[in-house]
Amino acid sequence: MPTRESSSAAVWAILRKECRSEWRTRYGLNAALLFAVTTLAAVSFAIGQLGDRSDVLAALLWMVILFAALASLSHAFVREVEGHTLTMLRLIASPTSIALGKLLFNLLFLGLIEVVTVPLFLVLMAAPAPRWAPFLATLAVGSTALAVTSTLVGALIAQSRERGALFAGVSFPLLMPLLLAAVRATRAQWLGVSAAAELRLLAAYALALLAAGLLLYDHLWED
Amino acid sequence: MIARWLLFLWIAAWTVIALLWAPLVPLLGATTRVLYFHIPSAWITVLALAWSMGHSLAYLRRRRIEHDDHAAAAAELGLVFCIAATITGSLWAKAMWGSYWNWDPRETSIFYLLLIYGAYLALRGSIDGEERRARLSAIYSAVAFVTVPFLMFIVPRLYFTLHPDPLINTHGKIEMDPRIRICFYAMLIGFTGLFAWMQSLRVRVTRLARRLEAAAAEPARRAV
Repeated sequence: MPTRESSSAAVWAILRKECRSEWRTRYGLNAALLFAVTTLAAVSFAIGQLGDRSDVLAALLWMVILFAALASLSHAFVREVEGHTLTMLRLIASPTSIALGKLLFNLLFLGLIEVVTVPLFLVLMAAPAPRWAPFLATLAVGSTALAVTSTLVGALIAQSRERGALFAGVSFPLLMPLLLAAVRATRAQWLGVSAAAELRLLAAYALALLAAGLLLYDHLWED
Repeated sequence: MIARWLLFLWIAAWTVIALLWAPLVPLLGATTRVLYFHIPSAWITVLALAWSMGHSLAYLRRRRIEHDDHAAAAAELGLVFCIAATITGSLWAKAMWGSYWNWDPRETSIFYLLLIYGAYLALRGSIDGEERRARLSAIYSAVAFVTVPFLMFIVPRLYFTLHPDPLINTHGKIEMDPRIRICFYAMLIGFTGLFAWMQSLRVRVTRLARRLEAAAAEPARRAV
C-alpha cells in the first residue's frame, strides 16, 4: 500500500498510464468520437436546423453529450477487468488513487469528445451564438459532474456480470438531477438569463459525489 | 400468527369504513378514495428507501450480512409499493388532471424512486458472490442517498405542482374532514404494519435459505 505522500504521485502515474495505453491503440477515443458524431448526425438529420428553439437545443446538446459519455466512460475499469490487469494495478496503488486517476482520465476524455462534438453541434443545428462564459462554465462543471458520477458507477459495474449493458441503466438515476440542471443552465445562457443558480447546483452535485466517492472507493475491492 | 390476522382485519375493516363512512371531498368526488391507498403506498415507498439505505450504510460500517438482507428486502418491497403508488397516482391524475402522465414534480420524483429501486435491484442481480454483492450494492445505495436531496431541490425549480399537499399536512392548508383523516391515518398504520410484516418475512426467508445452503454444504465438507 502506498503511503499518503505518494498517493498524488500514484494518481498522476495512473493518469499517465491511462493516457499512454489509450494513445497506443486510440481504440476508445475513435469509438467514442464516432459514436458522438453518429448521435449528433442522427439528431441533426431527424430534426434539421433549430436556430430559434434554444429550449430544444439545450436538451439535445446534453443528450448528445450524455450518450457519448455513457458509451465510453464505463470502459476505464472494464478494460482492466477484461485485460486481467486489475490485480496488478491494485498491488501498486490504493483504490482511491486508482479511481482518481481514472476520473482525471475520464475528464480529459470527455473534454476531447466535447471539443469535437460541441462546435459541430452548434454549426449543424444552426444554433444562435452562445454567451461563451456561462456556456463554457456549464460545459466544464456539467462534464465534471458527469465524469465523477460515471467513474463511480463504472467502478461498480466493472465487477458485475453484464458490464456494458447495465451501465446506462444503473448510472441514469444518478445522472438525472445533473442532466436537468445542466439543460436548464444551458437554456438560461441562450435566453440571456443568469445561470448562476444552476451552475452552483451542478458544482455542489459534483463535489457531493466526489466526496461520496472518496469515502466509498476504499470499499471497492476487498476480495 | 395472531398479529397477522389482526393486521388483515385492520386493513379490511378500515377499507370498508373508508369507503362507506368517510365523506368525499367536494372537488375530488369519488377519486377521494384513492387517498387511502395511494398515499400510504407512497409513504411506504419512501420509508422502504430510507430503511434500505440506512441498512446499506450500516453494512458498510459493520459488515454484517443481516444488514444486507434488510437492505435487499426493503428495496424489493419498496419497488412493489412504488409501482402501486405510481399506478394509483397515474389513474388519479387521469381522472383529475386529464392525462396519465405529465411530469408533474411528484410524478418526476416517484419516477426517480422507481429508477433508483430498479437500478439497485438490477445491479444486485448481476453481481456474483454474497459478500461482493452486498458491498457493491451498499456503495451504490450510499451514492444514491447523496443524490436524492438534489433531486428534491432541483425538480421544484423546474415545474410548479398541481399535486395536493403531500403526506402530512403540517400547515393545515387543506381542511381535511376529521372522518377522512381518521381513516387515512388508520390506513397509514395498516400499510406500515403490512410493510413491517412482509419485510420480516423476506428477511427470515433469506436467512433460512442461507442456513439451508450451509447445511447442504456441511456433509460434503465432512466427506472431504
